[in-house]
Amino acid sequence: MTGVFGRSVASIAGALRAVFAAERVAASDGFLQRRDPRVSLCSLAGLALAVMITRTAAVTLAFGVVTVVLARTSAVPLRRLFARSAAVPLVSAFVVLPQAALIPGDALIDVAGVAITDAGVAYVVSFTLRVGVGVALLSLVVLTTPFSSVVAAMRELRVPVALVWVIAVTYRYLFLFFDELQRLVLARNSRTTGRGLSGGWRDARRIAGTFLLRTLDRGERVGRAMRARGGARPPSPYGRRQAADRYDYALALCSAAAVVTAGVIRWIP
Amino acid sequence: MDPVIDARALTYEYPDGTTALRDATLSIDRGERVAVVGANGSGKSTLQLALGGLVDPSAGTVRYFGQTTDAERVRDRLGVLLQDPDDYLFNATVREDLEYGPAQLGTSRRAADERIARLAAELGLTDLLDRPPFRLSGGEKQRAAVASVLAFDPDVLLLDEPFGAVDAHYRERVRELVGDHEGTVMVFTPSLDLAAELADRVIVVGQTGSIAADGPARAVLTDVCLLRENGLRPPAPVRLFEGILDADEMPLTTAAARRFLVDELGRESSDPSTTR
Repeated sequence: MTGVFGRSVASIAGALRAVFAAERVAASDGFLQRRDPRVSLCSLAGLALAVMITRTAAVTLAFGVVTVVLARTSAVPLRRLFARSAAVPLVSAFVVLPQAALIPGDALIDVAGVAITDAGVAYVVSFTLRVGVGVALLSLVVLTTPFSSVVAAMRELRVPVALVWVIAVTYRYLFLFFDELQRLVLARNSRTTGRGLSGGWRDARRIAGTFLLRTLDRGERVGRAMRARGGARPPSPYGRRQAADRYDYALALCSAAAVVTAGVIRWIP
Repeated sequence: MDPVIDARALTYEYPDGTTALRDATLSIDRGERVAVVGANGSGKSTLQLALGGLVDPSAGTVRYFGQTTDAERVRDRLGVLLQDPDDYLFNATVREDLEYGPAQLGTSRRAADERIARLAAELGLTDLLDRPPFRLSGGEKQRAAVASVLAFDPDVLLLDEPFGAVDAHYRERVRELVGDHEGTVMVFTPSLDLAAELADRVIVVGQTGSIAADGPARAVLTDVCLLRENGLRPPAPVRLFEGILDADEMPLTTAAARRFLVDELGRESSDPSTTR
C-alpha cells in the first residue's frame, strides 16, 4: 500500500485478519476449547467481575497470572492476546490520567506546576491494570470459542435477546466495515503512484465521505442477506453444548470463589 | 393449486425517484423453472429482492403460496441468493455461514449437518469449511454462497446470477444441483445461454423496468428482435442458426446444437446424393 493512509489501513486490515485468525485458535485443542461454552463464558466473565471488584494491585496481578496460565494452556499466543486486549486499557489510562494529579497524596513530581501524587499514580496504574486484565479475560472467551457458540451460549443462558442481537450484529458488521475500507483503499492505490503525507491525507478526506456511503449501502445489502436466511428472527446459532466434566465444574467453582474472595477482600474490613 | 409467488403491479422507486421496476405482474407455479433475463440495470435484481420480500415495493403486492403477503412468515420456504457473495457470506467461517440459514430457520442440527456435509462435498468446500470467507477466491465464495442458500432446503429458489466467477467444472455441479432441486427455481441472469440451459419459461425485464415478455423458453429465446430491442444477446445456437432454421426446430443450447449438427452431418454422409 502506498502512503500513510494506505499503510494505516493495511495495519487495520492486519488487525482484522488477526481477529479472524482467532477462529483458528478456537478450533485448536486446549483447556478452554474443551470447556462447555456456557461454562467458559460464565467463568471468564466471573473472573473479569472479580478483577473489577478488587482494589489491590497484588490481587489484580494474581488475576493477570491466572489469565496468562489460561491462555498458555489453551494454545492462545500471548502476543495475540495482548494485541487484542491492549487498546481498551490504553484508552482507559488516557481517560483516568487526570486523576494522577487530582487525587490527594504525596507529590512525586511537578509537571508544569501540577503536582503528580503517589496516590494518583497508584490509582491510574491500578485502574488500567484492572481494565487490561478484565478485557484479556473476556478476549479469551472469543479467542477460544467460535463466535456462533458464544452467541448460542448467551441464548441458552437467557441473556436478553436484544443484547445478544446487538452483540452478534456488531461483531459481523465490524469486519464488513474494515473489509469495505480495505477495498476502497485498494481501488485508490491501483490508480495512484506513491503519494506524500499531504497527498495521502487529502485522499483520506476524499475517501472518508465515499466510505461512509458505501458502508451504509453494504450494511443494507448484508442486512438483506441476513434476512434472506432468517436474520429477522432472534439469533439462534447451533450451540456446541457438551456434557460438563470435572474441569468444567472446577473452573466454574474457581470463578465463583474468586468473585466471593474479591468481594470479601474489598468490602469486609 | 395456488401459485408459489403471485406478484401484482409491482413498482419500485429508489429514494432519488429513479424507477427500477414498473408495474410488474407475474405468477410462478409450483415446480416451474423460470429465467428472468434483462440487460444490466434493467431491474432484475430489484425484482428478485421484491419477490423475495427483501425490499418493500413502492406499489403492488406479492402473495406467497396463496397464503400471505408477509415474506417473513414463509422465510424458511424462500431461498434468496443475492448477487454479490461478499454480501452473502458475513460469518467468521464458511461453516458458520452454511449453518446460519438452517439454524435461524429451525432446521434440526442433525439434518443441517448431513445436508451441509453433502453440499460441501459436491461443491468442493469440505477443506474450506473452517476458513474465513474473505480468504476464499471469487469462485469459491460463489460456491459457498450457493451452498448457503441450498443448506436449508427451501421450496423456492430465487438465484441472482448464481454462477458468477465459478469455473467450468463447478459451474456444471452448480447447474446440476439447481437442476435437481425439487421445488421451484427462478434464476435472474443477463445470460440467455444460461436461461436456455435452466429454464422452461423466460421472463424478459425491459430497459424501463417493466415486463417486456413472458412465455415458454423457446418462444422468447428465438424472438431475436424482441431480445435485441431489450439489449439482450440471443443464445449462441440461436445466433448461429438465425435465418437458417425455423424457431420450432432451433436448438437453444450448445448441447442441442451439437446433437443437431451430428444428426445432420450423419444424415448427409449416409445420403449418396450428397457424396462428392
